Amino acid sequence: MEKKIAVYICSGCGIGDALDIEQLSKVATDDGGVPICKIHPNLCSKEGVELIKKDISGEEVNTVVIAACSHRVMYDAFSFENCILDRVNLREQVVWSHKPGDEDTQMMAEDYLRMGLAKVGNMELPEPYKPEEEISRDILVVGGGATGLTSALEAAKAGCSVVLVEKESELGGYQKNVKKIITFPYKEVQDNNIQGLIQEVTQNDKITVYTGANIEKTEGGPGIFQVFIKQNGSTAEHRIGAIVLAAGWKPYEPEKLDDRFGFGASPNVVTNVMFEEINNKGSINRPSDGRDVKNVAFLQCAGQRDPEHLPYCSSICCITALKQALEVKAQDPDANVFMVYREVRTPGQAEELYRMAQEAGVIFIRCQSPEVKVSGSQVNVEAEDELLGESVLLEDLDLVVLATGMVPVTAFGQDITEEGIEENEGEEEKKEGEEEEVPLDLIRRSNILNLEYRQGPELPALRYDFPDSNFICFPYESRRTGIYVAGCVRRPMGIATAQEDAAGAVMKAIQCIELTSKGAAVHPRAGDTSFPEFAMQRCTQCKRCTVECPFGAINEDEKGNPMPERTRCRRCGICMGACPERIISFKNYSVAMIGEIIKAIEVPEEDEEKPRILVLACENDAFAALDMAGLHRMQYNAWVRVIPLRCLGSMNLVWIADSLSRGIDGIFLLGCQHGDDYQCHFIKGSELADIRLSKVSETLDRLALESERVRFEPISIVDYDRLPALLDEFAEQLDEVGPNPFKGW
Amino acid sequence: MSVKIDPNLMKDLKAFGMKDANKCMHCGNCTAVCPLSTPENPFPRKIIKYAQMGLKDKILQSPEPWLCYYCGECSDVCPRGADPGEAMMVMRRYLTSCYDWTGFSRKFYTSERFELVAISIVAVLVGLALWIFHGANPDMEHACLNTVWPAPAIEIADIIMGTILAFLLLSNTYRCFLFVMGDLRKKIPLDIYIGQAKELLTHFLTQKSFGKCEDRTQWFVHLMIMTGYCTVFLLVVVFLAGGIHVIGLSWDKIMFQRDVIYPFFHPVRLLGYYATFAILYGTTYAMIGRLKKTKAPYKNSHATDWMFLMLLQLTTLTGILVHFGRLLDWPMITYIIYVIHMMVAIPMLVLEVPFAKWAHLAFRPVVIYLMGVKEKYYQDQKG
Repeated sequence: MEKKIAVYICSGCGIGDALDIEQLSKVATDDGGVPICKIHPNLCSKEGVELIKKDISGEEVNTVVIAACSHRVMYDAFSFENCILDRVNLREQVVWSHKPGDEDTQMMAEDYLRMGLAKVGNMELPEPYKPEEEISRDILVVGGGATGLTSALEAAKAGCSVVLVEKESELGGYQKNVKKIITFPYKEVQDNNIQGLIQEVTQNDKITVYTGANIEKTEGGPGIFQVFIKQNGSTAEHRIGAIVLAAGWKPYEPEKLDDRFGFGASPNVVTNVMFEEINNKGSINRPSDGRDVKNVAFLQCAGQRDPEHLPYCSSICCITALKQALEVKAQDPDANVFMVYREVRTPGQAEELYRMAQEAGVIFIRCQSPEVKVSGSQVNVEAEDELLGESVLLEDLDLVVLATGMVPVTAFGQDITEEGIEENEGEEEKKEGEEEEVPLDLIRRSNILNLEYRQGPELPALRYDFPDSNFICFPYESRRTGIYVAGCVRRPMGIATAQEDAAGAVMKAIQCIELTSKGAAVHPRAGDTSFPEFAMQRCTQCKRCTVECPFGAINEDEKGNPMPERTRCRRCGICMGACPERIISFKNYSVAMIGEIIKAIEVPEEDEEKPRILVLACENDAFAALDMAGLHRMQYNAWVRVIPLRCLGSMNLVWIADSLSRGIDGIFLLGCQHGDDYQCHFIKGSELADIRLSKVSETLDRLALESERVRFEPISIVDYDRLPALLDEFAEQLDEVGPNPFKGW
Repeated sequence: MSVKIDPNLMKDLKAFGMKDANKCMHCGNCTAVCPLSTPENPFPRKIIKYAQMGLKDKILQSPEPWLCYYCGECSDVCPRGADPGEAMMVMRRYLTSCYDWTGFSRKFYTSERFELVAISIVAVLVGLALWIFHGANPDMEHACLNTVWPAPAIEIADIIMGTILAFLLLSNTYRCFLFVMGDLRKKIPLDIYIGQAKELLTHFLTQKSFGKCEDRTQWFVHLMIMTGYCTVFLLVVVFLAGGIHVIGLSWDKIMFQRDVIYPFFHPVRLLGYYATFAILYGTTYAMIGRLKKTKAPYKNSHATDWMFLMLLQLTTLTGILVHFGRLLDWPMITYIIYVIHMMVAIPMLVLEVPFAKWAHLAFRPVVIYLMGVKEKYYQDQKG
């Protein structure tokens, strides 16, 4: 495509007052040789947009550079079909955060315009990817419990065909054993209607149910998953658009609990799950002799919030215990019911349940470590009541109910990184020597999805073996595109939340199918139609791209050649950053493009005393934080030149070498928080960038440069107020180190 | 030694008016906001915990219910609607019944029927007594009460009644002292008890602790009822015969309720007016408050609360009518109203003072005094 470039400079929002716009336009017309450069006082207005549209249709302009506000705003106004577009951020990151009318501010604006021109000069319009196979709109629901059943129904209601796979011979999951439930608005204990739900699902002709079945193999990617379901010895095949994983949980094994909980010492010491089973058989009675209970104690946090057992809170055991306590009270209002708790956790409206139990006369004892004492047929509990400051003895208990927690089914099975240590991973380690190793994902062979992915057969586990991102902004997202997690396998939850989850995950699955069918990316780059292309003739089969892709989007052939599954791709560009041969690029995002942008930065001579700092900023948070700083009119030094990256993980080390050899004094990398509480939209991007950075010392040594010139800082959008100080501090630090000796080479 | 929970106490306390204490989740806002709670005697949360767990012995030993004047701020700040102020009130009722060795108080508090029957019986007995034992030649020309019921006879009856009531109240107060001080009571030397005695009187007369509460109106209303009541008590018991006539101590210039009508500015008459006004003001304020539930202390009314206010107000109203009857010199009306006046006032004294709400006039200052004694003792131990 022959590019016809047009530049539009907006002089509104204070841009015209702070900058010499005529001078700026010369950068485009004289230096850049751009045929059309127009100035408008209000470019986002109807007339402004019309002006651009007229040039597109009349002058056959197909490449537009808009020098106005940040690309994070007004994106709907500046949207032109089949047009290459770049937004030069003169407002938030130039005039709102720097001295007006200043020479350095002008230089900054001119640099940004040059960078924008370099960018459009080095990008093409992406063409959406259409797989050869037809995109399926069917949804696979894994797990036939309350969450799975609700998911199936929700998907069917939205018009999708559903395949539901359940391991057990009957549908219903854990809820099958539950007599009474408590759910929104937590006003009363209700009858469990799981049978009704099962009936609805089995009667729905859009839902195909496989019970007593398991998934043998899952191939492909979103829109084109090929799922092999084994049932009664035969295998059925389904083409699937997206998957909802609602495989549920298992109770923590009570045998593993500390002796003080007395499990096993008396048949009358049971778990909360066993309580449900006893209750479901008829009445709440004493397991030792079947007599109705008179004295019942509920001991909370049995092995939970305990680093030795389950380090987390299962969040529903308090609600369950309160419900069970009310059931005991309903059976016999004169029964003595005690609840020994550490903290009663009844989030949201469930607080109502706590009140109900209090009013029913349940006696609450706050104690960190109650002890069950069994002697003969007598069961007592001794608890140090923190509110009383004294030890309390509960005698002659008929039933002691231990609140054991929820373990996701993904927590079972062997970790594949452990089984692989002797074989291939060991070799890799040797090859890479002293360099910091990219941590491998924890994937267990839990026999749920059996993915045909190079990276492993199941979803990578995040914290506490849950496959869900624990970051609040990305619910239902797993680290495999098109597979959405709902219910207790995502995080511990009760029936109310699980059913809400079911609908949420189905919504994500439908979105995924819709976007995939348009060849577009899903969250967080929803709608992006670019995808990575591999110049295979230069590939050295180093496997970095397959190892580092956080989403397992790249398979391998036997020789180690990468085989990208494009519908799995999230377009973060982490593979592009990883590739040492730089063979991976997008139509509109490539190593060369960023390299050209860096080259477009004018580096003044040493004696001008105008250092240059390159800021590579994650587009999702850090770039937004810079905008926020501008929005708050916070000032920082005018030496910085910011390049937004799709993810800091797409940073290729060659850019660092390029910048430094051009005389740029320092490089500041702004990425997201990584680690357990990561906020990276691509999960591992900023972490990988940080790891790569540890290898940059080699480059710096080669150039005989100081390591202080390159710095990584995690920043989230709320940290915007820290940014100006950070940037100025870095500038000062560079001032101490002195100018880059490569200036002017 | 582990404590044992008694789930039945809460059920028992219901009869004393306990309603919402179960809702308490022990956030401690009530204790934090209470201006009277101290680190040594924190309340109300602690007491609610005792109630929830059914720790009767601990409640019995607790001075805290008497340290509370029920301004109601705790109930206002309670995020759970557990009404801690009312719980403290219930505790006072409960403790009154525990201190009472006759067991009468318990019945009086826990059964409205018993309460009504008891008051009616005493009222009828008083009526009958006045009917049977009236003077031989009642003056039907002029309103002369002493000709119907001679002052010395009333005085003797008064003293007999006073002695019995004093015995009951003091014996209950002694039990209160035993429970609250426990083993400590023998360890504390007598001079500390004597040294602190002044405090007993100050607290009784001024209720200065109540002044620390944010709602000063409650303090004022309470003070009005208390001073009005005490004034009239003095008039009836001490000045009835211008002193204690039977043992030879009297001064006829200050005799209360004689057929002589004192001039307006006579101190006895003025005292009478003060008492009338103070009680009428206080009880009316409290009754309107309880009817409209204007503030936390008035939101929950136990049957005994109403009975107390009604008897007090009726006594005052009939007292006013007797006064007017005498001023207007209407003999028969005055005599009838006087009988009614006595039929209201005596049950109130006989039943409320040792067994019910009025008993707090002894328990509260005594416990505050004892806490002062305790504090002094610990100070001396430290020093």
